[in-house]
Amino acid sequence: MRRIIDYIRRKLSIRMSLWVVLFAAFIFITALSLMFFQAREAVSQEAVSRATQILDKTSLQVEGILNRVEVASTMTEWLVRQHPDNPDSMFVYSRGMLENNPEFYNCSIAFEPYYFKDRLYFSAYSKQDADTIRTIQGGNDTYQYFYMDWYLMAKLLDRPCWTEPYMDLDVPTGTSEMVSSYCKPIKDDDGNIVGVINTSLSLSWLSQTISAVKPYPNSYSIMTGRGGTYFVHPDPSKITRQTIFTQTLEHPDTAMVSLGHAMQRGEEGMKPMNLDGQECYVFYKPLGQTGCSMAIVCPKSDIFGSFDRLRRTIMAIVVVGLLLMLFLFIRFITRELSPLRQLAQEAETIASGKLDDELPDFQRVDEIGQLTRSFSNMQHSLVKYIDELKDTTAQKASMERDLHIASGIQMGMLPKDFPTGNDRDDVRIYASLTPAKDVGGDLFDFYFRDGKLFFCIGDVSGKGIPASLFMAVTRSVFRTVSAREDMPDRIMDSLNKTMADMNDTNMFVTLFIGALDLATGNMHYSNAGHDAPLLVGDGVGTLPCDPNIPVGFMPDWKYSLQHTRIYPGTAIFLFTDGLTEAEDASHNLFNRQRVTEVAKDVLARQEHEPRQFIARMTEAVHRFVGDADQSDDLTMMAIQFTNNASGQAS
Amino acid sequence: MLAAVLAILGPWIQTSAAQDGTIVFTPQWMAQAQFAGYYVAEAKGFYKDAGVDVRIEHPSATQPAMSRLRKNECQATTLQLCQAMEIVDGGIPLVNILQTSMNNGMVIVSARNRDPLTQTGAKVGIWSVGFGQLAICMSFQDKLDYEWIRFAQNMNLFVAGALDATLAMSYNEYYQLLQAGLDLPEEYVYRFCDHGYNVQEDGVYMTREYYREHPDQARRFAEASRRGWEWAAEHPEEALDIVMEYVDRDNIATNRVMQRLMLEEVLRLQVDRESRQREFRLRPDMVQKASHLMVENMMLGREITYEELIP
Repeated sequence: MRRIIDYIRRKLSIRMSLWVVLFAAFIFITALSLMFFQAREAVSQEAVSRATQILDKTSLQVEGILNRVEVASTMTEWLVRQHPDNPDSMFVYSRGMLENNPEFYNCSIAFEPYYFKDRLYFSAYSKQDADTIRTIQGGNDTYQYFYMDWYLMAKLLDRPCWTEPYMDLDVPTGTSEMVSSYCKPIKDDDGNIVGVINTSLSLSWLSQTISAVKPYPNSYSIMTGRGGTYFVHPDPSKITRQTIFTQTLEHPDTAMVSLGHAMQRGEEGMKPMNLDGQECYVFYKPLGQTGCSMAIVCPKSDIFGSFDRLRRTIMAIVVVGLLLMLFLFIRFITRELSPLRQLAQEAETIASGKLDDELPDFQRVDEIGQLTRSFSNMQHSLVKYIDELKDTTAQKASMERDLHIASGIQMGMLPKDFPTGNDRDDVRIYASLTPAKDVGGDLFDFYFRDGKLFFCIGDVSGKGIPASLFMAVTRSVFRTVSAREDMPDRIMDSLNKTMADMNDTNMFVTLFIGALDLATGNMHYSNAGHDAPLLVGDGVGTLPCDPNIPVGFMPDWKYSLQHTRIYPGTAIFLFTDGLTEAEDASHNLFNRQRVTEVAKDVLARQEHEPRQFIARMTEAVHRFVGDADQSDDLTMMAIQFTNNASGQAS
Repeated sequence: MLAAVLAILGPWIQTSAAQDGTIVFTPQWMAQAQFAGYYVAEAKGFYKDAGVDVRIEHPSATQPAMSRLRKNECQATTLQLCQAMEIVDGGIPLVNILQTSMNNGMVIVSARNRDPLTQTGAKVGIWSVGFGQLAICMSFQDKLDYEWIRFAQNMNLFVAGALDATLAMSYNEYYQLLQAGLDLPEEYVYRFCDHGYNVQEDGVYMTREYYREHPDQARRFAEASRRGWEWAAEHPEEALDIVMEYVDRDNIATNRVMQRLMLEEVLRLQVDRESRQREFRLRPDMVQKASHLMVENMMLGREITYEELIP
């Protein structure tokens, strides 16, 4: 299953075809379901109508003849009441009843025991017998009619009624017939029941009529009595032997019980049932006042047989049609998409590096043709772009080479020889500059003139080549100006004026310039917006600096001059903001406080000799930054005044 | 009732055996599972094994069982104990050669959901051939003053609503009513056996005169019949097959479901409540109880004793 799903996911043609066919199937199923539902309703209605017509017709037939029995019985009762004391006339009346109504089976005019003097039994009984009518006295010791249902029912109910059908045995002929009797009480003038008129009707004709009712090939009819007994049923073994409830005694069946009760109550209606494993509709209706009920059992397979066949045929056509549709769609879409497959293969070839591979020309004007053309354009653009990229890459390599050289030149501009204890006994210097890019905007410089150490440290705004050029200019101007000026403020003023005049790019530089008298330790300095240096000697302190604007803004700015005394052993630690603003991965700054703490630590270890000091500070900042990229140029310079004789000189 | 029975039986009783030594046995009703043991005994050859020649002939509309006995057309019949006592009281000595029932199976079923004991003066159906002696006693005893409506043989009157209540046998008419779709809540069904009227019913009787002349034949007939009942109790489905053969042969309007229910109930009634066994004996205490009740209610002219009924 998973393989099939994977296969479908890989095949656009199958997916598209499936979607189309599924959508079509949905439309078909919805439309057909609606149609089938409506059609089934129509068929069902037709079945109900047909069954109802048959039931109505049979019921009318039955009621017609029942009415004749009832009317004839009423007339006979009137005659009997005219001559209640004349037993012989009863024979005439009972015979007359059959003469006038040949379709009646028999007629008894029976009286209560001893109604006629000394006569326990008196029943004027007439019966149709072939072409004649047999009339006899019907009661005797073996046939005590006054215990019979037909007699007792009319007497006890005190009204005319129909008995449950029963098999009437005619003793002289030994024949039996299923009959139902209409029993009407005979009353005397005081309203006392003195006898019963019983008129029986053979139910053979009714049984045959009902049995013949067959609206569908496998349908059948049943007739049940007041007690649910089958009097008509296609299974002869059930007739008179079983009731509609018999099987429910062992196998409870609420539907059957419900049907039985409805028929017993003389209701008319229809119930869907499952009879002997077959789904059926049962239509039922009472038969006049007899207490009997007739039902037509129609298997659903009969009612809906043609409909189901039609439905199956249509469904088969739809299913086959959809499968065919699926097959054709897959073929068609596969064919239509084959250029895409070729295009995909070509794309693979191009992707492997064969950019000049020729694309096929499908000669199509549709979307696939468009795609092919777009692809071709893309291929040409790609070739062109790659050519341009090659040029650009070459240019970039050249620029990088130039930058490398520029970096070398920039680094070459910085002092490389740092005086150590071996070189001089009055001062030790060390500095480092680590640009963030190939070239940087930081600078430092120092040189000795007239027994003084002139030094500076600066930070040009921005980074890269512009900053590096500005740095180079600053350094050159510093050297030039400081060669003729002694005081740092004047150097700064001069430098500022020069830089501001030639500063069309609005760049600036923070700068600290100092001039240390190596004989006395007196230091003059001027600070143009640069971080104040640390003094690391007896302790760690910050060199006080006046607030001044950076160099390059205002040519007429007068920078202040400041003075301090540097004692032997004290180191001046100068740095750019690349140190205090070094960031770790979480963008936390190294900040001035950490710088001071490192300086204190270094001092405590007596490692504030410039080279060691810079090394320790570098280690500390690298530890802090970790793997984070360097965000700014980092420049540090340490100058340790070591002229122990300076005290005497001053 | 007594008069009617005497009128039927008295003058015509003949004390002659069947000419060819065959016992003609006539159950008191048409073919049904109530007589399964006898059918089994005949079908399985138990009578033949016992060396007795038995022929079962059912009564007809014109030839009821008692009529056949009095005309010596049969030599043995089944009777309820109360019926037998009435006949003995009427002057015809009878011998109970086999008692099958150990309990009373008669019930009163009430229509319209009422307790039969609250229906004073109700119209209650009773068999015209006379099985309702205990019910008549109960009506007197409990001062219910029922109006007894005698009917021939089925429950149609009750189903049609012409009766307030009807007598029924728990193994026959009771199931006929259920089969007619009636709902019969137990609280509206009065079972005589549960109200101090547990008097035995079916037993096989012969005239004492016939018995005196053929005691061995009667004993073997009774033994084989008992064997038939015991086999039926052990093999109810096979017994039912045999019953249905008799039912079909006589074209009786019944069915296997009804006959199965009847057989189960008849077999249940054969188990004594106290000993929980199929005892096949007349109980002196029940004879005495029935006799007292019937004398008290003037249905017997004198007490009939247990000794008068046993061989």
